[in-house]
Amino acid sequence: MPSERATLRRPTGGCTRLLGIVALASAACGRGDGVSASPAGQAAVEALASLPWDTVTVRARGTDVVWRMWRGDPSINMYVDGWVTPRLRERYGVTLRAVEGQGPEIVNQLVVEREARRRTGTASLVWINGETFSNLRRERLLAGPWAGRLPNAAYVDSASPIVARDFEQDPMGYESPWGRVQFALIYDSARTPVPPRSLDALAGWIRAHPGRFTHDQGFAGTTFLKIVLYREAGGVVGLQGGFDSTRYAAARARTFAWLDSLRPFFWRGGATYPADVAAMHRLFANRELDFSMSNNQNEVVTKVRQGILPSTSRALLMTDGTIANTHYLGIPANAPNAAGAMVVANFLLSPEAQLEKQKPDVWADGSVLDVARLPAEWRARFAALEADPRQLPRDSLAKYARPEVSPRYHERLAADWRTHVRARQR
Amino acid sequence: MSARRGTIAPRSLDASRIVRGVVLVALIASSLGPLLLLGLWSLSGRWLYPAILPTEYSDESWRALGGGALWPALITSVALAVSAGVVGCAVALPIGRALARLRGWRRHAGAAAAFLPVAAPPLALGTGLQVALLSAGLGGTAAGVLLAHLVPVVGYLSLFFLGTFTLFDARVEAEARTLGATPWQTWRHVLLPMLRGAAGESMALGFLISWSQFALTLVVGGGAVRALPLEVFALVRAGQDRAAAVGALLLVVPPVLGLAALRWAARRTSMMPA
Amino acid sequence: MPALERLRRGSAGDLIWLGAWLLLTGPVLAGIGYAAAASVGAVGPGASSAGIERIERVLAESATWRGLGLTLWVAALATTLATAGAVLVAATFRGAGGLDRVARGLAVLPLPVPHLVAGALGLWVLGQSGGVARILAALGAVRMPAEMPALVYDERGIGLALTMAWKEFAFLVVVATVLLASQARELEAAARTLGAGPLQTFFRITWPILWRGLLPAVIAVFVFVAGSYEAAALLAPSDPLVLPLLMADRAADPDLARRGDAYVISLLLLGIAAVAVAAHEWTRARWEPLDS
Repeated sequence: MPSERATLRRPTGGCTRLLGIVALASAACGRGDGVSASPAGQAAVEALASLPWDTVTVRARGTDVVWRMWRGDPSINMYVDGWVTPRLRERYGVTLRAVEGQGPEIVNQLVVEREARRRTGTASLVWINGETFSNLRRERLLAGPWAGRLPNAAYVDSASPIVARDFEQDPMGYESPWGRVQFALIYDSARTPVPPRSLDALAGWIRAHPGRFTHDQGFAGTTFLKIVLYREAGGVVGLQGGFDSTRYAAARARTFAWLDSLRPFFWRGGATYPADVAAMHRLFANRELDFSMSNNQNEVVTKVRQGILPSTSRALLMTDGTIANTHYLGIPANAPNAAGAMVVANFLLSPEAQLEKQKPDVWADGSVLDVARLPAEWRARFAALEADPRQLPRDSLAKYARPEVSPRYHERLAADWRTHVRARQR
Repeated sequence: MSARRGTIAPRSLDASRIVRGVVLVALIASSLGPLLLLGLWSLSGRWLYPAILPTEYSDESWRALGGGALWPALITSVALAVSAGVVGCAVALPIGRALARLRGWRRHAGAAAAFLPVAAPPLALGTGLQVALLSAGLGGTAAGVLLAHLVPVVGYLSLFFLGTFTLFDARVEAEARTLGATPWQTWRHVLLPMLRGAAGESMALGFLISWSQFALTLVVGGGAVRALPLEVFALVRAGQDRAAAVGALLLVVPPVLGLAALRWAARRTSMMPA
Repeated sequence: MPALERLRRGSAGDLIWLGAWLLLTGPVLAGIGYAAAASVGAVGPGASSAGIERIERVLAESATWRGLGLTLWVAALATTLATAGAVLVAATFRGAGGLDRVARGLAVLPLPVPHLVAGALGLWVLGQSGGVARILAALGAVRMPAEMPALVYDERGIGLALTMAWKEFAFLVVVATVLLASQARELEAAARTLGAGPLQTFFRITWPILWRGLLPAVIAVFVFVAGSYEAAALLAPSDPLVLPLLMADRAADPDLARRGDAYVISLLLLGIAAVAVAAHEWTRARWEPLDS
């Protein structure tokens, strides 16, 4: 044994030389093509900026577009794969391929792709908003500006602060709006005939029913925390106008104090939290929880139709106000097919696609178009859209809608929650 | 286990029968129960607590199979796994043979090197391979994912062939050579027939390893290469239990059938104890 | 020229060995290299000025060590349960008879089940509103989900360990069966002709052969469970986070600068794998009868 160990420490001269060659070779492989030229997507967007829209459609004909989006909801997948994709193919000759990818994954992937010195990446279109958009812009990973030149951009409800600003950021043409949603709690009217309607009432209900409420670790859970943050800051006005660390610290302290006082009454004593909304829906449907939540107020509509939530489920808005936001489409700076992506984004923004998306039996996702700007026939069709009985009335939604604030609040709150609440550090 | 006459043998025989019975029942429940559960879930329309059986049945998920994402994902997985098995066998066989000839620290280092890619957590391995494959222009492609799958496959199969070649009587090869056969003739007429069985088994093993890869496919494929495990995992995480059960059956039943066929074939050629 | 011939053959053998060794370890070493580079902030998401500050910070966090603890605990528990089950099944059904073959075939059935399917099954069976809970509720033993002991999302990872044990037990049954069929037979027959009873034979002859032969496979199972992401993603608690989940969590951290922490965790995981590989090789070489 000792002689073997000694031999191990002395590689032969030939070995070391070979290893050196291999190391050099792999380092050389890193020098990709076209490093000095600007990434493909950005170059294409700039080139197309001065050309008429017809040229864009001609360039896009016969091409493929890979779209990274969240694929966790079959209703959305059915809309994209079953309705959008065939129409894109027959009208514009564009083959759309939607693949899984959420905010942080998309950002990481684009960073690593840039590091690998590839001029073109995989995805031409990404579904983003909020802090993902902020990160991508800061890292210069998005191509643009392009959103303003889409023909259908004229119909966008740009007067609405919910659509015109993405977490208080001006998209500046780097992302095109796609849909809007509003946060709502979900409860079972059979189990909870008289649900609490404000955060204070909710706190009282939680204390009276220990172990029946929690929030998830994902986007919806953070939105719930932000609603509490808004209240502790004295309303959304207390946090608007960019990120203020003093105001944030004060509001956060009160928010965490509120959470701490309720922690023993949370599900599992607040020791563990569901990973995402779908896990919460499962717990809620199977009677482990009496409340679930979602960033989309119409989640009850689609999930009841899918058989996931019990038919007596209803959506609930808090009188303290719930957060409404818009989700967008972006084109990565290294997109292989920017023209195709623009054609896709334009189609998704069309009155026809927005109307289909809004139907309760499809996705029930809010439209970002200003109905008043649409041609008469589309105005009539939007007005004639039947509402599902489980949908919340529009005036309630408008009354309790609160806009998003700077993405830094979202990032800090999510990060601080992880360290101070989830990990039980103080 | 022969019983000795006129001793306490009958009682121990009864005890062993009870143990065998209990273990057998437990095996039936634990091995067949889950398959049954998957089948029930795939056919359920509504199945919420506290119902022990689904309250509504629906074959919607099975009917939607043709148009959904599961079928193309199944095909992708089969293509990847078959390629990984065949290529892995071809690459690992000479490596295993070379390792089997070594002695001392090189043999140990070689065997350890073969096991390392198998033991490395796929998530960590995937993030490490991601940049290398991206630089080579293979990020997000099926070819890149295949190369990534080959990393654990070649490792495990090299170990397998190391064991196989160690078992072979080296004298067989030496005897053939003293009788005047060239190395090529020895390979072709002596070793190759012996290897056919081992090669088949190794391809099946390589298939299995590639078939069940998840994190590796996800990270290296960048979400664009949709293998079946990715789709099923996404469905479970999205709370789509019914569709996930259909996908899980697609994921489990073909390898189970293949494994059963392999054991039956192996028993017929008496290569391994069934 | 015998000396030249020996030299030529020697270096050719060296080259082949080196080529094989590089092919096998190259990708993993490249991965380790990249993870190390990212850990010091040279590359990757959240790359900052290079330095070991990131490594120090991650190693100083209690989340890292508690995660490591839970990872090792779940792996140990799952491995122990799987080994016990495998030994029981392999020893109980050793014969060549039809029933024995059927039982062994059944035991091996879960072998091709991937971790993620096992995780889904664990969720549906062991959850507080899962199959077991519903049966208990029907029997009147529990009235609501909260009364069922928490086996999933629990901070002891019991459900996760049970699920992984169920999946890996099939693999150990295969190894144990081969061992019992090949090595132990003759010695056991000899022991019986010398008058040893069944239990005595088992503990003095069978078990020593069994545990030595199983040890490499047991180590393999340990590292497979420790490194599994999918099952943990479905069953593990949110605090402490097992290392694969912790790595994914850091990679999706809201703070972009912290995303590089995932690579430090990746190095930890690869370190565990390296230790397991060394242990695996040591036990394999030591007790593999035909190895040298």
